Amino acid sequence: MRLEKCWFCSSTIYPGHGIQFVRNDAKIFRFCRSKCHKNFKMKRNPRKVKWTKAYRLLHGKDMTKDSTFELERKRNRPERYDRNVTEKTLQAIKKIDKIRVAREARHHAMRFKGKKAMEHRAAITELEKSIDLVKAPAPLLQAPQEDTAKLKVKVSQPEAEFMEE
Amino acid sequence: MVQYNFKKITVVPSGKDFIDIILSRTQRQTPTVVHKGYAISRLREFYMRKVKYTQQNFHEKLSAIIDEFPRLEGIHPFYGDLLHVLYNKDHYKLALGQVNTARNIIGKIAKDYVRLLKYGDSLYRCKSLKVAALGRMCTVIKRISPSLAYLEQIRQHMARLPSIDPNTRTILICGYPNVGKSSFINKITRADVDVQPYAFTTKSLFVGHTDYKYLRYQVIDTPGILDRPFEDRNIIEMCSITALAHLKAAVLFFLDISGSCGYSIAQQAALFHSIKSLFMNKPLVIVCNKIDLQPLEALPEEDMKLVMEMKAEAVKSILAQGGDSKDDEGVLLTMSTMTDEGVIAVKNAACERLLNQRVEIKMKSKKINDCLNRFHVAVPKPRDTKERPPCIPQAVIEARATANAKEKRKLEKDLEEENGGAGVYSASLRKHYLLANDEWKEDVMPEILDGHNVYDFVDPDILQRLEELEQEEGLRLEGEAVEEDFEMDGKELTEEEKALLSEIRRKKKLLIQEHRIKKSTAESRPVVPRKFDKDRKYTTDRMGRELSALGINPSAAVNRARSRSLSTRGRKRDRSLAGQGEDGEAMDIDTEHSNKKLRVRSRSISASRSRAIIAAPGGFTPGEGFRDIVQKQQALKIAKKSVRHRNKAACKGEGDRVIPNLKPKHLFSGKRGKGKTTRR
Repeated sequence: MRLEKCWFCSSTIYPGHGIQFVRNDAKIFRFCRSKCHKNFKMKRNPRKVKWTKAYRLLHGKDMTKDSTFELERKRNRPERYDRNVTEKTLQAIKKIDKIRVAREARHHAMRFKGKKAMEHRAAITELEKSIDLVKAPAPLLQAPQEDTAKLKVKVSQPEAEFMEE
Repeated sequence: MVQYNFKKITVVPSGKDFIDIILSRTQRQTPTVVHKGYAISRLREFYMRKVKYTQQNFHEKLSAIIDEFPRLEGIHPFYGDLLHVLYNKDHYKLALGQVNTARNIIGKIAKDYVRLLKYGDSLYRCKSLKVAALGRMCTVIKRISPSLAYLEQIRQHMARLPSIDPNTRTILICGYPNVGKSSFINKITRADVDVQPYAFTTKSLFVGHTDYKYLRYQVIDTPGILDRPFEDRNIIEMCSITALAHLKAAVLFFLDISGSCGYSIAQQAALFHSIKSLFMNKPLVIVCNKIDLQPLEALPEEDMKLVMEMKAEAVKSILAQGGDSKDDEGVLLTMSTMTDEGVIAVKNAACERLLNQRVEIKMKSKKINDCLNRFHVAVPKPRDTKERPPCIPQAVIEARATANAKEKRKLEKDLEEENGGAGVYSASLRKHYLLANDEWKEDVMPEILDGHNVYDFVDPDILQRLEELEQEEGLRLEGEAVEEDFEMDGKELTEEEKALLSEIRRKKKLLIQEHRIKKSTAESRPVVPRKFDKDRKYTTDRMGRELSALGINPSAAVNRARSRSLSTRGRKRDRSLAGQGEDGEAMDIDTEHSNKKLRVRSRSISASRSRAIIAAPGGFTPGEGFRDIVQKQQALKIAKKSVRHRNKAACKGEGDRVIPNLKPKHLFSGKRGKGKTTRR
């Protein structure tokens, strides 16, 4: 029994799940669930579909080159069974897993590194630009509370002229 | 060969079926329509045809029966006797004779009635003559229906007789019941005869085929024979006696020396002597079966004597054939069908003896000379006196020697049988694994761990590589601990700045939301845009609040706005007119009135009154587009009227064209209590 990888999303396919499609040129496509199968039938390129591993690796979102991947490789030569080797292998798998997970976490942390600085800069510019929405500009604040309305002076010159006439 | 036609006899229908078949065929195949207005000759011909047709059919079918059933004199005497034994020759002949007479009678009936029909003078008379003819024919058949049933049974049984060729090489197996004849035939041929502990398990002859020296031999298993006088024998025993009597075959007389069949050797010997006349001119082999229970050497004295007597008889048969009296290994043989010991030897001996006898007979006949003259066996002439034996490599000779010396090793098959048989025992396939340590042979290794295939990781130097990896990891961790996370350099926003920022963001969000609501799309844009602020969103209070939120004293702006409002100043049109009214004293009274009206109109209504008007139902709201309340009410009326027709038809809207029930029953059925129903 082997755990295979889904051709579309690269997740592991456990026994009893998914569909295998064998093409006329004898190439086998394994899918973990109908979502991947249907996407394949629609001829979508997994490298362009955001949630697949292929996309993530291609666009550098996940760790690609690492020595932990070298340890897990499909070997075609069968090894003679040795109990000690098997025991050690089983323990080693766990340790390798831990290391790999730690390295991936580090990769993600590296990716998100510059975020704080960027956010800080964005906040400062926003404050400068849009402060007018919450605070009046300084000159207006300092102006006194006088009535600066214009004084109206009634000019009655034409009346006077009429009355004169 | 005649014997194989037993399977090809057509089915004999029962009396009733026979009549049905013939009559329905007559009805279908002859014209059916006749009227009394036809010419008399035509009527006569019509009915004569029916009578003749029926007679012909009966004749055909009955002749078929008579021809297909075999004549007991015309077939091989073996089959003739066998059929006599099984079915009684006389009864059989009687049945066929009855069928024959029936055929003749029917012919006569038909002839008579056709003669009468020639003088029939009306439709009715012809018809009754035909009915009478057919009726009589059918009665004849009804009378012979028991014979027909009997013949049908015989036919079915004959079809199932074993196909024995009386002229080919045959081996006959006979003996007391339960001595092991059927087990023997099961062993040497593919026949599957029932083997059971009770006597007379085999009730009829069974045939199997076996091969010897590239020739096919028939092996016939017979039911057991008891030692009785000839007249007392039952049908089953008579089958085997018939076979013995008529078939030229090698005879294997089976003897059960252990006595487990229930009969002693004396009884079996007695049987042998009573039927030895049937063994004339047949190669005879006496077979002692069941030696696993009782070996031949351990027999008591008298039994041994009896057996030797039988052997002597058998030897006589060899002498009769012209063989050597010393050549008696093939006469008395031992075997056991349980342990398979000697079975093949018996078969070979019997086949050999039979073959020799047949060859000798053929050689003595005249026909053989024609064959002999045609072929010649060429033998190479020796060149010199040098001997050239076959060349066998040394290794082969040694291997042969050791193979004979070596004992049989234990096979997996034997192991399986010991431990409970096929369903119970499952062989351990890992027994022969070559591992560094034999304790590991039955280990179960996991194939999957934590979503990985274990086989992908298995590597003899996995440990070393893991160590390298861990070292690498250790180094990297140290390196990281040295670096610090100094992204920010301690730069941070103060609390006040954070509050302002959140406020800015909130306001921006609100602006965006409002814009989205206000955004001009065909759905949201009214045809006549509103100039009047129906919702009272833009009030001086609000402006004051917002300005003070910004930190500015709003009182100046608010006062200015209020002084310039429509309510204090009035509309431009009204203002100008009002202005003129004050100055122009030379204006008429009418204009005064009109001015008054305008003045009244242009004055603003008090707050409470305005609220009352707006709150009233169907009340007049200035921003709606109506001139006054009267117009608004008219508009509402028109709207209701236009919807009325639709509502009565129970439509959901103007697009609803569904007619739920074209002809509701209550409108289209029922009587009227009073009045007519000429229209609904």
